[in-house]
Amino acid sequence: MLGKLIARRLALALLTIVLATVLVFVALQALPGNLATQILGKDATPDAVAQLTAQLHLDRPGWLRYLTWLGGAVHGDFGTSLATGDCVVSMAGDYLRNTAVLAGITIVVGITLAVILGVVAGLTRDRLPDVLISGVALIAMSVPEFTLATLLVLVFAVKLAWFPAVVTDGPDASLRTILHNVPLPAAALSIVMAAYIVRMMRTSVIDVMASEYVAMATLRGLPRRRVLLHHALPNALLPALNVIAINIAWLVGGVVVVEAVFNYPGIGTLMLDAVHNRDVPVLQYIAVIGALVYVVSNLLADLAATALNPRLRTPARAS
Amino acid sequence: MDATPSNAHEPAPSVGPESIPSSIPAFSQRVSRGISRRTMLFGGAGLAVAPWILAACGSSSSAASSTSSSSSSTVGGATTSATGSTAVTTGAAGTTKSGGTLRIARPPASTVETLDPASSLSAYEYLGALYNRLVKQDASGTVAPDLAASWSVSTDQMTWTFVLREGVAFHNGKAFTSADAVYTLQHILDAKTKSPQAGVLSPFLDSSGITAKDAKTLVVKLKSPNAEFVSLLMNYNCYVIPVGSAATIGASGIGTGPFSLVSFKAAGKGTVKANPNYFGGAPKVDSIEFTAIADVQARVNALLAQQVDLVAQTNLDYATAKTVTASSTATTATVKNAAWYVMPMLYSAKPFTDLKVRQAFKMAYDPQEVIDLSIHGLGTIANNNPVPPTDPNYLDYSVPHDPDKAKSLLASAGFSGSQQLYTSSYEPVMSILAQAYQSSVKGSGLDISIQTASADSYYTDVWIKKPFCVSYWYTGRPVDQLLNQIFRTGSSYNESLWADSSFDAILDSARKEADAAKRKQYYQDAQKILVDSSASIVPFFADRIIGLSKKVVNYKEFGFEFDYVNIGFGA
Amino acid sequence: MSGITTGSPGDTAKGDAPRGSGTLRSLLGSPIAMTGVILVLLHVVMAVAAPWLAPYSPIATSPLDAIVNPSSSHWLGTDQLGRDVLSRVIYGGRNAMLISVVAAVLSVGIGTALGMAAAYFRGWFDEILMRILDAVLSVPAILALLVVVSVLGAGAPVIVLAATVVYCPAVIRVIRAGAQSVVGLDYVTAARARGENPWATMVREILPNVLDVVLVEFAMRASWIVLLVSSLSFLGFGANPPTPDWGLMVSESRSLLTVTPWAAVGPIIALATLIVGLNLAADGLAKARGIDRITGGA
Repeated sequence: MLGKLIARRLALALLTIVLATVLVFVALQALPGNLATQILGKDATPDAVAQLTAQLHLDRPGWLRYLTWLGGAVHGDFGTSLATGDCVVSMAGDYLRNTAVLAGITIVVGITLAVILGVVAGLTRDRLPDVLISGVALIAMSVPEFTLATLLVLVFAVKLAWFPAVVTDGPDASLRTILHNVPLPAAALSIVMAAYIVRMMRTSVIDVMASEYVAMATLRGLPRRRVLLHHALPNALLPALNVIAINIAWLVGGVVVVEAVFNYPGIGTLMLDAVHNRDVPVLQYIAVIGALVYVVSNLLADLAATALNPRLRTPARAS
Repeated sequence: MDATPSNAHEPAPSVGPESIPSSIPAFSQRVSRGISRRTMLFGGAGLAVAPWILAACGSSSSAASSTSSSSSSTVGGATTSATGSTAVTTGAAGTTKSGGTLRIARPPASTVETLDPASSLSAYEYLGALYNRLVKQDASGTVAPDLAASWSVSTDQMTWTFVLREGVAFHNGKAFTSADAVYTLQHILDAKTKSPQAGVLSPFLDSSGITAKDAKTLVVKLKSPNAEFVSLLMNYNCYVIPVGSAATIGASGIGTGPFSLVSFKAAGKGTVKANPNYFGGAPKVDSIEFTAIADVQARVNALLAQQVDLVAQTNLDYATAKTVTASSTATTATVKNAAWYVMPMLYSAKPFTDLKVRQAFKMAYDPQEVIDLSIHGLGTIANNNPVPPTDPNYLDYSVPHDPDKAKSLLASAGFSGSQQLYTSSYEPVMSILAQAYQSSVKGSGLDISIQTASADSYYTDVWIKKPFCVSYWYTGRPVDQLLNQIFRTGSSYNESLWADSSFDAILDSARKEADAAKRKQYYQDAQKILVDSSASIVPFFADRIIGLSKKVVNYKEFGFEFDYVNIGFGA
Repeated sequence: MSGITTGSPGDTAKGDAPRGSGTLRSLLGSPIAMTGVILVLLHVVMAVAAPWLAPYSPIATSPLDAIVNPSSSHWLGTDQLGRDVLSRVIYGGRNAMLISVVAAVLSVGIGTALGMAAAYFRGWFDEILMRILDAVLSVPAILALLVVVSVLGAGAPVIVLAATVVYCPAVIRVIRAGAQSVVGLDYVTAARARGENPWATMVREILPNVLDVVLVEFAMRASWIVLLVSSLSFLGFGANPPTPDWGLMVSESRSLLTVTPWAAVGPIIALATLIVGLNLAADGLAKARGIDRITGGA
């Protein structure tokens, strides 16, 4: 049963990714201007445009070009960048690594922070700690993220000089350099991300603590600490899992802003470059990565939910 | 030319929308940069801009100007008219202590940058450190010897002879000879190079006309007379590379300049180290480290956080400049009249087909009010003349602001009174200028509505497409190049599509004229026509503000590069 | 394993929520919701009464008064063109609120219709819609935004469209989840059995049951759209200058943050208080009506 469920989920996940690439492909076709004209510039002769059009296979119907691309992608060949002529996969490698470092730290820090604060807020409902935590979370989600990032730079880099303000190295910087530069961008992202999860956690803790189940455990005389950690927390995490998954997927796009503010050489930076270069193969690759992260994090959240709550192991829930 | 041209669109690269800092913002800026680059790049003509060039490039030199022409031979410095802009920067001067690493933040030209100076994708900031040109612009704005020790021109303005400097070696130890100079010019003209400067030179120069008379003499025979030819070699695409290096120069960076290449990565980090054997004397600093930072605000933050010592190619807007000066670690330097702002009125589109409407639009605004609002007076009123007042050929002529006359002109032209004006966040001053103009012409019965277009496609979809928009160019083109490239009928950078055959004829006469005084008269006649009837509103020249660490001394900028030899840290 | 059946955040509304009639009452009864509503109302009043409240014209330039710090004549100082920041902040809400209301109505309206339809029809319609939504949601929103804006250019209609594209899919999923718990109930089954027009059934039987969710979604999406509009204004895709608009103002004055902070901080505070108000209203309402709010980051 579980195996079948997982197989179905995997098939759906694959379908989602393929559909996403179709959508992106169609949307990119709608970008203004003939790609060949874009590349050659406004003074290009009609001959040159025609030649490049043929060379890029732009004269073929869209569906054929898409299938050609898909055929390559299945084999791990995502084509070459229009801007640099490099293989997309190897070119994006460094950027991906850097974003993975940033996102990984953000996820660990953000989620830990959010869960702790959410539980504290939930347990002290409507008392001072809750009011403070909820208030700060509300404000954190009400201020545009670039404002937050800028503020961090002004205070911790310019005024206090504790951390670098921007990353001065390129995508191929050593891991050490990247780690040295990661604190401020990770802080900015963690705060934004935690703000959403804290609110969810808090509600969910309040719900769980009010449930019969916890009341029963308490009545059975279990220590409060044990009730919290072993009974309440797993159940409280359950509803928060999807929110966490959504936030992880959000990171793929959310890093764009923060990476720009810090000149962080990650996937967001690559995306901005690709958009301005109309570099379709790179954008397609990023879309695939984004879809993959979205699908996988949702899948993991569902699996975790299933593990936490066996009652959910019924195919009816799957969608 | 002292200056190199800079171009309009390019601007973005250097300047960036300051504001954008935000999230997405960065994006727009970057986008814009990309496009422009691309335009230039592939598009042809070029004007790429070299950023620092901007200002510096131009020169003021009056001195220089004249001489040359007349008969053959002039030596050394002077010749041709200088270009106009100004150079000059203010920055701390003082004793430099030797040594240290200068850290420069710069915007990447693109992810496929190259060190080939002829390319439109060259990483500008490296060029002046690695290479030399045949002639350069000196601090006073004059055309000065660099690798060419002296030069002369035949009386028909057709044959130019350059005597090259002795005892110069490339970084790889090879001696510099006329073969390298011939190769460099031919490389620029080669269609495969796609050099922006090819579009400027090719109308009167073929590869076959470039020859080496002997190891130290270069002879250039033009197809048609051009008394201004030598000034065109000051362009930043004209850095000299070793013979036969076309395929490798993009990565090797081997030149004759004050620094030699240690490492370079497109859109990434790079280092150059001092060349102790430089013919102009050893540089004060040991090395320069270049960092590519795309977002303008990020570049400024790097400066404020002392991660870099100098922000290259970045025009700080007034507000950012205030922020920088208010900090304890950084300060600003100013390049006078570095860019000129323009609102082209499309000659082919209504209502601007009517001369009366164009004149009314020029008279309708108060130049003082517009310059004050837009750039806080940090610049010079242009009076609709794109030639900077510092250019020796400058004509001091203007049609005064006159709201009543503007009103009556518009009435007699049957103009409705409202007009849409396009702008974008491509560059910080553009939108402010649009708002200042809108505000200033209200008194003349003109109702301007502002439309913000995507910075991304501004120079492809709006510029030369929409009837009325805001744009800008870096100052620094020699007057000959400025007028021919941007105002001549049919030129690809004629952004207003204005066409005036009498104006074109005057430019032709100037190129043939050997006598500098008469040539100047031609250029002044041309300027009068521009002020009276062109389709370009040119409200002002704006100063460029550069951010640098308080520790940096002797920052001087002219002729497209700063003074790499003397810049250093305070003792 | 008790308690937690309430569904994961993706599947909101509890099936036993009463019909929508009591919405107003529960709103009034919740102090949190009231605080939010009052904040939002203050902003509405400020926007409507702007001509009487603002001390200066929001677009009057004055070269001599540019970039001054707060004083008795300019409470929040002036910006680069010498315009009064307070007046611009007061007028600035008009643009933000108009766009966010229109976009929120559109995305929640379309989302509600499609969400209910998916729950009602189930089967292949639901399946296909969900797959498409998943695909749309899996594309990073910022990429979608950049494409919409690149294709269509700037302007209020484009922003409304972009916001709708970005938020509609999430709304569909939420409403669908809410409606699913109603579709199985007796009276809906009965209506279906009677062969009633599906849309009539949805409007009559299902909509009242998900109305609370719809309202919560509306308040929440509206707050996000305000944020989105401000981000787009930064990009230069928002309001055209010299329109007073918070996002545009922050972007124009951002570099002045350390010199005359109020030119940027003023609009940020206005922006944040409106968003906080909308969120509190949504929170209070959700709490009063027993709805788990989902707060994703989309």
